[in-house]
Amino acid sequence: MPNAHNSGHESEGNYGHISVQTYWIVFGSLMVLMVLTVAAWYAQKHFIHLPEIVAVGIALAIAIAKTTLIIYFFMHVKVSSKLTQIFAVSAFVWLMILFVITMGDYMARGWPPQKGPLTQAPAVIAVGEIQSSALAGD
Amino acid sequence: MATTPHEHGYNPALLHHFDTPGQQKEAATLGMWAFLVTEIMLFGGIFLAYMVYRWAYPAIWAAAAPHLNTPLATVNTVVLLVSSLTVALSVHAAEMGNKRQLVTLLLVTILLGATFLGIKFTEYGEKFAHCAGYANPVAWMTGGERLAEAECLVPGANFLFPTEVASAAEGSAAPALVARPGMKTPHQLFFFLYFCATGLHAIHMIVGITVMSVIAWMASRNKFSPTYFTPVEIGGLYWHLIDIIWVFLFPLFYLV
Repeated sequence: MPNAHNSGHESEGNYGHISVQTYWIVFGSLMVLMVLTVAAWYAQKHFIHLPEIVAVGIALAIAIAKTTLIIYFFMHVKVSSKLTQIFAVSAFVWLMILFVITMGDYMARGWPPQKGPLTQAPAVIAVGEIQSSALAGD
Repeated sequence: MATTPHEHGYNPALLHHFDTPGQQKEAATLGMWAFLVTEIMLFGGIFLAYMVYRWAYPAIWAAAAPHLNTPLATVNTVVLLVSSLTVALSVHAAEMGNKRQLVTLLLVTILLGATFLGIKFTEYGEKFAHCAGYANPVAWMTGGERLAEAECLVPGANFLFPTEVASAAEGSAAPALVARPGMKTPHQLFFFLYFCATGLHAIHMIVGITVMSVIAWMASRNKFSPTYFTPVEIGGLYWHLIDIIWVFLFPLFYLV
């Protein structure tokens, strides 16, 4: 993505301008990405069978690309102050902390076992046994 | 602009605790972004719940997601992306001082937002009509076509997932219409998240339309000028955020 570096000498609150043409190009790209994500879903459902993690990965990669375009151009982060840019990026840093630490904790504790407790009652017992045996070990 | 007795050096839009209009605009933009970060965290909680449960129960997602209306959601995605463009163009029109174009674009945005909600309402209506035993919302109102196969995808006491009916009928003569959380209707989990996430998003949409209506009214009353259009700018930021949330909801719920 071309990153127009601002010199920083503009007056406060004015860091440049995004043209109408850019808005239309961004909109066109968003529509193309939207078609791509639906097409990828349709192909995956009817023609080629990808592992679920790959299919979700493709869908999320496209969603992140769309989000980046919207935030950078439509939400004027490109022509905002450094502090605003840091705020915008910070949201996703907090999100990553939320996701990574929570999922890391679940995975490290081995929850759920192979089959979830909602679908298979024995799995609940299995977890209970692990915990009780761990307690007994202490 | 109406003429004021203090044409020189006096800006009615500049509040006294700011030095320059630029500083004021900067503060407003930063404040809005701080709010948007909290909004992202609010939806982040829902996305986290989604992540944990989909990871734990992929089979539920695979079975439940095809019951959502993907074509309608695709149309809604297009509607929202177009509305984001009209908002971006309306901020540009405000910057240029083009009042006529600004008001028109804001009204188009409101119309697109209402279209989105209308389609969402149809989607929800379909689910509720199925619970009432009718094929679609219109049949429900007019007492028309009944639903062939019993189905209720709205979480609650009457939740009934189609494939769960057969297994329940095997066990006993009476169909298991009463949901026992965690046992008979694990598919409820997916629809619970679906209604929470899209419902919260729809509430944001209603707020967004209200905000845009106020801004359109302000614009028609000549409240903005090329030097002062901060409400258009930060209202636009809010609208784009609603669009971004949908950009994630769409593939995660409808394209499983």
